[in-house]
Amino acid sequence: MAKETFRGGIHPNEHKEYSRGVALKVYETKGDVILPLSQNIGRPAKPVVKRNDPVLVGQVIGEADGFVSANIIASVSGKVKAVEKRRTLNGSLQECIVIENDGAFTPLKDYSVREDISWITNEEILARIKNAGIVGLGGAGFPTHVKLAPKDPLAVKYVIVNGAECEPYLTCDDQLMRAMGDEIVEGLKLILKLFPNAEGVIAIEKNKPEAIASMERAAEGNTKIRVQPLKTKYPQGGEKSLIRVIAGIDTPRAMLPADVGCIVINVGTVYACQRAIVYNEPLYRRAMTVTGDAVKEPGNFIVRTGTLFSEVLEAAGGVKEGVEARKALAGGPMMGISMPSLDVPIIKLNNGLTLLSVDPVEKADAAMTACLHCGRCTTVCPIGLMPQMMADAFIAQDLDRYEKKLYGLECVECGSCTYICPAKRPLMQTFKQAKAEIAAVKAAKAAAGGAK
Amino acid sequence: MSQMLNLSTGPHARDKWTTAYIMRVVVIALLPTAIIGFIVNGWYSVLMTAIAIITAVLTELVFDKICKKPDTWKDWSAVVTGLLLALSLPATVPWYIPFLGSLFAILVVKCFFGGLGKNFINPALAGRCFLLISFVSTVTTFKVDGVSTATPLVDLAAGKTVNVTQMFLGTAGGVLGSSIIALMAGGLILWAMDIIHGEICFSVIVGFLLIIGLFGGQGFDPKFLMAHISGGGVVMGAFFMATDYTTSPVSRLGQLVYGCFIGVLGGLFRTFGSSADSFSYAIIIGNLFTPLIDTFIVPTPYAYRKKMIALQRGEKKKKLKDQIPIPVVVIAIVTLIAGIALSGVFTMTKDAIEEQQLAKKAASYKEVMPEAETFEVNAAGKEAIDALNGEVYGSSFGRSRINSAITGLDSAGNAVGYVIEVTSNDAYDGTLTISVGIASDGTIKGIAFTELHETPGKGSLCDEPAFKDQYKDRNVTAFKVLKDGGSTLPEEIDSVSGATVSSRAVTNAVNAGLDFYRTKIQGGGN
Repeated sequence: MAKETFRGGIHPNEHKEYSRGVALKVYETKGDVILPLSQNIGRPAKPVVKRNDPVLVGQVIGEADGFVSANIIASVSGKVKAVEKRRTLNGSLQECIVIENDGAFTPLKDYSVREDISWITNEEILARIKNAGIVGLGGAGFPTHVKLAPKDPLAVKYVIVNGAECEPYLTCDDQLMRAMGDEIVEGLKLILKLFPNAEGVIAIEKNKPEAIASMERAAEGNTKIRVQPLKTKYPQGGEKSLIRVIAGIDTPRAMLPADVGCIVINVGTVYACQRAIVYNEPLYRRAMTVTGDAVKEPGNFIVRTGTLFSEVLEAAGGVKEGVEARKALAGGPMMGISMPSLDVPIIKLNNGLTLLSVDPVEKADAAMTACLHCGRCTTVCPIGLMPQMMADAFIAQDLDRYEKKLYGLECVECGSCTYICPAKRPLMQTFKQAKAEIAAVKAAKAAAGGAK
Repeated sequence: MSQMLNLSTGPHARDKWTTAYIMRVVVIALLPTAIIGFIVNGWYSVLMTAIAIITAVLTELVFDKICKKPDTWKDWSAVVTGLLLALSLPATVPWYIPFLGSLFAILVVKCFFGGLGKNFINPALAGRCFLLISFVSTVTTFKVDGVSTATPLVDLAAGKTVNVTQMFLGTAGGVLGSSIIALMAGGLILWAMDIIHGEICFSVIVGFLLIIGLFGGQGFDPKFLMAHISGGGVVMGAFFMATDYTTSPVSRLGQLVYGCFIGVLGGLFRTFGSSADSFSYAIIIGNLFTPLIDTFIVPTPYAYRKKMIALQRGEKKKKLKDQIPIPVVVIAIVTLIAGIALSGVFTMTKDAIEEQQLAKKAASYKEVMPEAETFEVNAAGKEAIDALNGEVYGSSFGRSRINSAITGLDSAGNAVGYVIEVTSNDAYDGTLTISVGIASDGTIKGIAFTELHETPGKGSLCDEPAFKDQYKDRNVTAFKVLKDGGSTLPEEIDSVSGATVSSRAVTNAVNAGLDFYRTKIQGGGN
């Protein structure tokens, strides 16, 4: 029996009550869609359509450029309005394909028909995943066909399906597991074909009993698949945390999960893989939660990528009367990104929109004091780092101590230290900066070395 | 959306605990101790505590205003400092004592070093030590119901038994915050809330007990250990002072090292040192080592520990017995054996030690009873001493206690006189102990000091023949001290010039010994 949790971690207020009971609802986009060419880790896709080209749902409009890259798929039918720089969720301008939505959603092929896959080979499974443009839907956006092709597939002992959903507020994975248990298990079985020595472990936090029941029922009778309930704790759904819990191994930054015989894959990604393999349907929509105390009717939706956040917010009833939104987050409060405007497109990685009437950061900044050296940050760090010492080292610009003695580059930026700090110090933010500075110093050194 | 949306780097959630919240919890944890102190010591102690707290907060506020700093006084940390300082002072000190203590603690130790989180020693302790040095007699004079008393710790140092129950409740005298049971309750609540760390508070206590047990002279006798734990601010120090965030290491391992260090140092100071307030200094010295500990003791991240690297390489998990670090086991076993052996040796050699001590003391007995050849414990006297149970003897001899009663025998085995050993707590600097030689008819044959720490050139002159021979060969009911000299009657003793307190303490002790002989040995023996 594996342990149910890792060392450290925090338990922020879950706030899942807003949307946890609301079943997934398909939302069909009314307006145009904007599809950034970069929706994954690695290189952006290359556009293969131009202005005024007609497109169908499921059509590849951006092609993967190189190995670590992923296809971009049209999510509506209509015609290409523009290929140009548009504002994206973090406020930056990025190359996007804009499609004028004809409202018909004409698909490239009928995606509701099961194909005969009894013959399917491992190569074909990977090819379908690659063609479908699937990336890690948990938020990291690592191309899935790359993740599922490690050097030694026989060495993989665990395929961990991440259904922890430890992020506060978000409930779309919960609802997906409740509704699509069989499909997820089928997807997992297909993925397990790639790893003959691996066991499939569906890891779910205990605050989702319905999802656990649904997955246990779906997995029943499968000797190679089990459901592992986990303690409700953030960052339980972090890759390193899950490997720690399931395989009992802490991994350093330089190691990939596959190096210790693990593949960690988000539950939404497994569902997308099942759609891609069995129905040959590419990834053009995903589940997401629209929630927060400023939302009138919070809920869980299946939305087409490229739809504007503002449009999905309207689908959830818009902003609650008498409430003013102070903060909009793509994702939940821990890992989410704060957005200056909601008129930006949803991409493959966005698992939620959280709209808050009170900005906890604003409140916290007002209560900031000097560091007490209380050590609460060291207690919660899931990696075993000393955030307080790291912050001191960075402030003293002792980057050598930061990197070598304190292992500061190992920080996974989960934000637990910032969350717990009673003095409200921006610890994790400091570490982001420190890592960037160390990388810059190294790059400068490498450049100088190259010039010699 | 009429309003601008806020932008920030994640995470966008924060725990509800703030600095001020933690400080308020610490204040609440100290309240039971304070309330018991108030009940025992009365309204003045409330006023004194208020002065300490208000001074602390105002000092920080004024400093903030003058230096145009943000309002750090609102974070409640100054309240904690003021309260801790008040609780570590006697309840009867004049108003300016808590005022000066808080001023020093906040202004010099905290503000001058950069405020919250920057001070290098605990401000409350620093304030207390500042007062100890500046106003030694005021800060170490304790009164219960208006009467000066020795703290239990002074008695303990003098080898007396003390009332541990009273110390636990906080009614035994001492500082305002001396209720051990309330301090422990508050400390354990903070520990349960993970505000203070067991790595510090428990290791301080364990380290302290280990040293007291090994070198305290009475082995690991639970009652003796409890008495030591209950006195001298050990509990307050362990739970509320040593655990101060800013001045203790951050890593758990560092905290363990730091806690053991303070505990051992405190134990050594208590056993071999002379100051009753040594525990405060032990913590301050521990504070000074904190930056060093934090520099060198940095835990390795989980993924880089040896055991984990082996697992990453695919090696099998080791069995439990291979996982326990051998040095830890060895140290634990050695400590255990040493402790058992020492306490065993102590028990076995207890009688031998007593005999030896008797022989050693025989020299001083000989001095005051030259006619005697050998000495033996007087049975009637011993019975009477046991009946006193360490209490002060009689009502007219100040705080004199009878330690032992010895019969002097000549070569034929006949009693030729008696030696009574008396300790007085009224000496100018704590205690003094004398042996009083008394002939069977009640004539004083001489006195000798077995313990005297009085001021050189003043109180120490009591040990000169000019003073102590005044008692010799006189047979009176009770001696009395003439402050200005000019004695004529046999019962009159000329005080040592400038050392009336010492002279009176000696005379009271002689009178106590004389009275004890007359009522308990002569009267009881006949």
